[in-house]
Amino acid sequence: MKPETTTSDRPTAIRISNLSKTYKTGFWLAPKVTKALKGLQLDIYENEAFGLMGLNGAGKTTVIKLMLGLLKPTGGSLTVLGGSVSSRQIRSQIGYLSELPYFSKQHTGRELLEYFGSLHGLFGQALRHRVDEVLELVRMTKAAALRVSGYSKGMLQRIGIGQALIGKPRLLICDEPMSGLDPVGYKEMRDIFIDLKKGGTTLFLNTHILDEVERICDRVGILHDGELKDVASITKILGSTVQVDYWIDVEQGEASKLTGLPFRDAIANNGGVQIPSLVLAETLSLLASRRAKVKAIRPLSSLVEAYFLQAIGAQAQLQRPVGSDR
Amino acid sequence: MRRILSLASFTFRELIRSKMLFIWLISVIVLCGLAFLLSLLSYGDILSIFMDLGLVGMEVSGLMVLLLSLAVTYTTEMDQKAIFLHLSKPMTRGEYLLGRILGFYLVVALVVLGMGAVVSALVVFVGGGQVTPLFIDSVVFLLLEMFVLTVLGLTFQMIATSLVGVVLYTFFTIFLGHLIGQIQWLLEKQLPAGIKVVLKVIYYILPNLDIFNLKDRMYDPTLVLGSAQWQEVLAYAFSYSLLVFLIGWWNLEKREFM
Repeated sequence: MKPETTTSDRPTAIRISNLSKTYKTGFWLAPKVTKALKGLQLDIYENEAFGLMGLNGAGKTTVIKLMLGLLKPTGGSLTVLGGSVSSRQIRSQIGYLSELPYFSKQHTGRELLEYFGSLHGLFGQALRHRVDEVLELVRMTKAAALRVSGYSKGMLQRIGIGQALIGKPRLLICDEPMSGLDPVGYKEMRDIFIDLKKGGTTLFLNTHILDEVERICDRVGILHDGELKDVASITKILGSTVQVDYWIDVEQGEASKLTGLPFRDAIANNGGVQIPSLVLAETLSLLASRRAKVKAIRPLSSLVEAYFLQAIGAQAQLQRPVGSDR
Repeated sequence: MRRILSLASFTFRELIRSKMLFIWLISVIVLCGLAFLLSLLSYGDILSIFMDLGLVGMEVSGLMVLLLSLAVTYTTEMDQKAIFLHLSKPMTRGEYLLGRILGFYLVVALVVLGMGAVVSALVVFVGGGQVTPLFIDSVVFLLLEMFVLTVLGLTFQMIATSLVGVVLYTFFTIFLGHLIGQIQWLLEKQLPAGIKVVLKVIYYILPNLDIFNLKDRMYDPTLVLGSAQWQEVLAYAFSYSLLVFLIGWWNLEKREFM
């Protein structure tokens, strides 16, 4: 897969050019060199929501740390909001949420936001007003007076997003923002991101929750083993011919008609069968010839997931009918 | 400057709520108990016992609070990576280090001064005497020593890659820093050249904590602190702290957070 070449005139929020990062670890006698990023080339446009997908250890967090100046590139260049991230003025326009954000447990949610707000130059009435606003936005007003030690994972994540938003950032960078959230927390977080996107904030999300990407992002990048394998818009992915597995349900009492399908990876179970999309049409016509009454056909994974797996080369060999060499 | 003060107050609150003042409370109880026992057993001057013990108590409790605070915050800031959130904000790394130093120092100074107040109360209300000017000088010198050690401890926290490293570096600096006088004495003796070089390195790198130590000389009738000695001690404390701070800042600037 080739990265989608976009020669957009849109202003860029992040410009990454031939970026590489090498870690040297171990003792000086036996140094170990790990190439975490290999010549990354990527533009993130203003007001877009971009999702960087990749397996654990793909290099996603390294990209974020480079964007924030927590790491220094071994090669290449990176500009954020038109400047260097080492500039205070640039950093004042960035919000950052780390994976499972950890705070001092001795402060209350409100105190944390007040502190982080003060780092953005907010004081007095303006600070209190902004803290109230953010607490409302992340739905933490009621728990604001409690110490962080009493917070659940979801509450921590919400205070985490609160501290990232306290300075009204133009660019919000999040590392695995849905990590550890329950379904309600997940939905709330997603709604916050969608609202921010509508409000014109540029979002950069590192994630391996692919459903989140499909619902929030405009474009995605697929990072694998330190290399950018693909960049594509969600529209392009949804319109692609990528293969996904389907689940076919038949009417009760007709399960016997599912047995003996001539496809190697057809898995019949509990009155249904799982088949790859490549043989969907053939399966349906076979079931029709057996006079099986099909109740429902459902895709078992999202297109984004299938696209991702295909891009990193992890998708199993496409299934083929047994005995066929097609 | 406001950012530095914000972080200092944030750190101060964090440490106070981490129950660091319990150490102070325990030290006060131990001090009062010991003072009472020794006053029963000793025929000597009860006031000097209170003040001697008090100064030792102040130093020990201040150092314990410093070491424990370094350990507690290392876990949060470095191991659990809370520092990422601070450094991603519009705050320079130098401001971060300075804010942390001030927050730590406020707690350590509070413990030392609190202990000083208890000792003074013992001297006045139990011993029926008066706090001597030299005792007050000793407390101020101790506060200066604590400042130097706080800057050193925080610098180690930025440099070290493990909690054990931070605590060990700080502990050994304190230990050897108090032996500077003995090292100086050894340097005047006939020693193999290699050992002399090592001792010289230690002598010049480590803080001279002996310079802040007045408690051993509190009852020296000839001791009068002149302005020259004050200037020397103040200049040493601030120049050494500044140098260590600059090294810590430089190191933090080039540090990568993996």
